[in-house]
Amino acid sequence: MRGNVVWMVARREIITRMLTKANIISMVVMLVVILAGAGVGRYFLEREQGPEATRIAVDQAAAALGEPIAAAAGPDVDLEVVTMTDDEARAALADTDAEEQLDAFVVGDPASPRVVVAEQADAQVLDTVTAAVRAYVVADQIGELGGDPAAFEQAMAAAVPQVEALDPPDAGFDGAAFGIATVMISLLLFALIGSGSMIAMGVVEEKTSRVVEILLSTIKPTQLLAGKIVGIGIYGLFQVVVLGAALVVATRILGVDGISVDIGSAMIWLVVWFLLGYLLFALLFGGFAALVSRQEDIGSVTTPLMFLLFVPFYVTMFLVPNDPDSTLVRVLSQVPFFAPFMMPVRDAFGALDGWEMPLAIAIAAVTIPVLIWLAARVYQRGVLHTGGRMKLTEALRG
Amino acid sequence: MRRVSVLEIDHLNKSYGALRALEDLTFDVRAGEIFGFVGSNGAGKTTAMRIMLGVLAADSGEVRWNGAALDLEARRRVGYMPEERGLYPKMKVGEQLMFLAGLHGMTPSDARAAVDRWTDRLGVGARRGDNVEKLSLGNQQRVQLAAALVHDPDVLVLDEPFSGLDPVAVDVMSAVLRERADAGVPVIFSSHQLDLVERLCDRVGIVRSGRMEALGTIDELRSTDRPRYLLDLRAAPSEVDALVASLPGAAVVPASGRHGGPVVVELTDAAPDAAQALLAGAVRLGHVQEFSPVRPTLADLFRGVVSSADAPAQADPSADEGRRRRGRREVAA
Repeated sequence: MRGNVVWMVARREIITRMLTKANIISMVVMLVVILAGAGVGRYFLEREQGPEATRIAVDQAAAALGEPIAAAAGPDVDLEVVTMTDDEARAALADTDAEEQLDAFVVGDPASPRVVVAEQADAQVLDTVTAAVRAYVVADQIGELGGDPAAFEQAMAAAVPQVEALDPPDAGFDGAAFGIATVMISLLLFALIGSGSMIAMGVVEEKTSRVVEILLSTIKPTQLLAGKIVGIGIYGLFQVVVLGAALVVATRILGVDGISVDIGSAMIWLVVWFLLGYLLFALLFGGFAALVSRQEDIGSVTTPLMFLLFVPFYVTMFLVPNDPDSTLVRVLSQVPFFAPFMMPVRDAFGALDGWEMPLAIAIAAVTIPVLIWLAARVYQRGVLHTGGRMKLTEALRG
Repeated sequence: MRRVSVLEIDHLNKSYGALRALEDLTFDVRAGEIFGFVGSNGAGKTTAMRIMLGVLAADSGEVRWNGAALDLEARRRVGYMPEERGLYPKMKVGEQLMFLAGLHGMTPSDARAAVDRWTDRLGVGARRGDNVEKLSLGNQQRVQLAAALVHDPDVLVLDEPFSGLDPVAVDVMSAVLRERADAGVPVIFSSHQLDLVERLCDRVGIVRSGRMEALGTIDELRSTDRPRYLLDLRAAPSEVDALVASLPGAAVVPASGRHGGPVVVELTDAAPDAAQALLAGAVRLGHVQEFSPVRPTLADLFRGVVSSADAPAQADPSADEGRRRRGRREVAA
């Protein structure tokens, strides 16, 4: 029966918040922005990545350069060497709209060819051709001197210094992990601020409209607060899941493959830490909001809580990507208000030891009952207080 | 044997710091009775009602319903209309009442029927789909009453239910209160509209500075050991004065009888037949146009109780604070 009352309050919260026009519109707008953004991003990525393969043409005389050119470009460059007549090549160079654009046409003596280009020689193309010509000349000279060009080439290929770093950087900066972690905790921050202020505004709305007096003649303050937190929590979770899913879809659209982060498990941790973070912060928002009676005064109680959200967020952004397993980060990520931001990021960077996540969850879970007690106490004292702002100490003492 | 349902308010005390808002406030409201709770602003009516509903804790004293403390479970069967109206402004009338009915333990189908019934009865049936904030204040008031009635409460506690209502709504409200009382529900309401209280209430309590100064039926409160009579006599004023002076304990109420009109005579410590003696004397003196007992109205009684106070009554700490602040401002200006 009593639990039912909590659920009734929660249900009201969900219905009145989720089904408002403003909410539906803003959700749709956010989804459209995320998905459209991903679509646009993909378009640009493809334009950038998909540079047409470099095409270099050689004429009959310079055909001997074909192989050296391909070799000089190396295996990483998408290069195509074709043989063309002079007229063909000139036509191809002039046709700048062609699907397979010709970048250069090498003519004449392989030892000192001419390079014909449309407007300006691409530096890379020129380098490649230069290297090819030198290689050709060197091989030619070695052959003339009675040496073995093939053996020479092998020896040259092996003549690369081996670098030995005493303090190598960690596998390089993981851009994908950083990107995903940033998006994840931004979403988390967005959801926590959104649901936190929603709770604060809901509590004050009930005080301002005095409906709280009717409610509290029927149900306990703790039931009212619990219902509100459950209801808005479900609503916030819905937001996180929908937007998170949209982000997963967005990464698919962007075609980010082969990155080091397991997006599925990142999403699960995001949800877990949203729930824990939500309880940590929402309880404080709900309890403290009861100290004021007017919407104008909300700022005075929510501002310190906003700091409590922003500080861990920025500390996480600055500390974790640079050094995800420094001692400071390890310690902070066990602190309840920091953990919701630090843990998912460290997980994305793969910087967690097995015991760290469970321990942080356990610490948060132990903190929550303390906060429930604190919030319920402040709320009960404050919720029927009218007039000016009630002091926190006053609410705690009483 | 089932005991008579009674709401007992037993020696309630409540202080805000140095201010005594309620002092040994004691009264009861029986089933089927409409109880009028009267007092000047800040006398403690709202404080008392809030304590009854558990919204405020008393320093000492108890509120009982049928002999048992009025706890949360019992309070769910109370219909309450707070002084400061409270409804969710951005929630539809129907949904809001459904929600409140649900909190009071009604099933959705019962709640739906009750919401329809009460909104129709109170004339806001057509507004069930509108947000409360779109309604006029008077209509919001009707919705507020519907919120107090929707769960078919066993007790009704209404703080100023008539303020802000048009005459038609007052009639509807009055009829509803009477009907609930006739159904065996104790009804307690506060009001400054004393004519209404007089017409509607079976019993009245007048509070001043948190204390119950007068308590009883209107007739009981009116009965006095100094009855007054109106005497309209065609005779010279001096002769009338002489007649009154001849009767022991009788006196003309000063403000009356000017310009040769009717006089009001007050009989103090009078023998039971003093009124008859006055009438007999008057008949001998001349033509008696009218001779009737003057019954004080509730307003008269109220003024009598309130004006006997030396200091202005005050119980609401925030109002008090406001007053002080205003005082300071005036000084500053």
